[in-house]
Amino acid sequence: MHRETIEDALFRASYLSILAFMLLPLAVVVVTSFAESGQLLFPPENYSLVHYRGFFEETRWISAFDNSILVGVGTTIVATALGVTAAFGHELDDGRAGQLLAPLVLVPLLIPPIILGISMRVYFVRAGMDASYLSIILAHTLWATPLVYFVMRSVFSRFDWRLLDAARDLGAGPIQSFVYAVLPNVKHGIFVGALLAFIVSLQEFVMALFLSSHNTETIPVVAWTTLRQSLDPMVSVVSTFLILISIGAIAVAAIATNLDWLSKQLS
Amino acid sequence: MSGTHSSLPAPVARVWEPLLERSRSKRALLLMAPLLLFELLLFVAPFLILLRISVTEGSTDLRYAPGTWSLEGYAEVFSTDVLLSAIAYSFKMGLTATAITVVIATGYAYAIWRAEGLLKSVLLFSVILPLLTTLVIKTYAFWPLLSPTGTVNDVLVSLNLISEPIQFVPGTIGVIVGQVYIVLPYAVLAIYSVLSTMDWGLVEAARDLGASRPRASLEIVVPQAMPGIIVATVISFAWSVGAYAAPGLLGAGDDLAFALEVEQRLLSNLQWEVATAYALVMLLLMLVSVAALTAVLNVFGGEFEYA
Repeated sequence: MHRETIEDALFRASYLSILAFMLLPLAVVVVTSFAESGQLLFPPENYSLVHYRGFFEETRWISAFDNSILVGVGTTIVATALGVTAAFGHELDDGRAGQLLAPLVLVPLLIPPIILGISMRVYFVRAGMDASYLSIILAHTLWATPLVYFVMRSVFSRFDWRLLDAARDLGAGPIQSFVYAVLPNVKHGIFVGALLAFIVSLQEFVMALFLSSHNTETIPVVAWTTLRQSLDPMVSVVSTFLILISIGAIAVAAIATNLDWLSKQLS
Repeated sequence: MSGTHSSLPAPVARVWEPLLERSRSKRALLLMAPLLLFELLLFVAPFLILLRISVTEGSTDLRYAPGTWSLEGYAEVFSTDVLLSAIAYSFKMGLTATAITVVIATGYAYAIWRAEGLLKSVLLFSVILPLLTTLVIKTYAFWPLLSPTGTVNDVLVSLNLISEPIQFVPGTIGVIVGQVYIVLPYAVLAIYSVLSTMDWGLVEAARDLGASRPRASLEIVVPQAMPGIIVATVISFAWSVGAYAAPGLLGAGDDLAFALEVEQRLLSNLQWEVATAYALVMLLLMLVSVAALTAVLNVFGGEFEYA
């Protein structure tokens, strides 16, 4: 019995220390955003909102924010449309096309983003599209679509297909039957997929770094180029915003589905 | 669907059913076509172009000389010490980060699997939040913690464990800690999603048969979780070998990773034929080692022995 108590304590201590390791760095970033000094120290000596004021006065950050939203919304629309239709088609018929599609969609996720970034940059420069919003949206779609696609496969596989057949038998056309019989049952899944696509785009930076120019740079890109020159506490402010957006997205997604299901979709 | 149409006369049904099947699969194909086309245009085509540029001649006024054929790029990669040692660095760093990540991830996934209620939600949240946070923040966060004036050094010095601050960041230790932090959430979730389908009764049976708890975990849980552990290893390794953010931001001058070198060739030196050849050599080495890693782990998954 004594030995089991020690084992339990050790086990609890080790997973709680990993829990701390997971959350501490993000907590540090949030806390340093309230520092008064321009030096990056944790814990800060004095607290103030001076860096927040600075953020809203700096046009480079504001326009990067706009760029991130624009790219994120674009990515969400394209990735959700592609992912939902393909997953639906795959569920209708698991033919050869479907067997080709699943690995093809997955492979880009396993290739280091630096190599994808290089191939994208070379491609878009040749196509004369480098530094355009569209190039970043398409690159992010390559990463966001697999998430939407696999979330939707999982959602559609739980859908009762007799409902669709019943709608068709009752005389509904293909689009009508999708809208009235399928959509109400899978709309939570679509919503979570779209949300994940948006977050992936908002946070992605290696491909964006290779594809953006001064006019189209997104928040992570500006944060990166700033950090390579100096450790600017302003980055903590921006990071705090991004972390808050992610927490909000997780909360919303957890309400729409549940945390356990969500975490299995992400793996 | 067959229920409705079985009421049709037999000859009609014989013609009708395959037609219906075909129209269904045609519609399915039509629905999958946009994504297939997208993947071909945005993933396959760029890679073919990358491959083509890697076998062109270099050019001083352009990024490469279109239309030419040459192996200059590859020759440059294999004859330049900096490029080769960057590959070696990336592989060493990638293997170290992967080994640490997979061990921690297995334990953490196990803890999430065993936890219940609020604790389970908190543990899952602690994995999903970093997963949905940009690489830039995840690496930057280690500066105030690990730099010579950082929190960890302050604590160690005030506890008299060390007399002088240690420079974790910038340095190789910082790079590895940062990289582990980046890939850990993905590894944990890959293992957790496999564990969550597993039957706890098996572990209890092992306990009843007299196995100690650590032994029951290692002999029952680890082999069952092997598919997840393999996925976690492949993901951690592939991303750590290609790591850009951690060596770029947390590394010192001698932490020259592949990603930093290839970026410089592509964006600063504008040697496209070298950069593309370099990227392809790296990708090939990576695929070979991923295949080797998977094979090794599969052997363990088949007959895991714990003495």
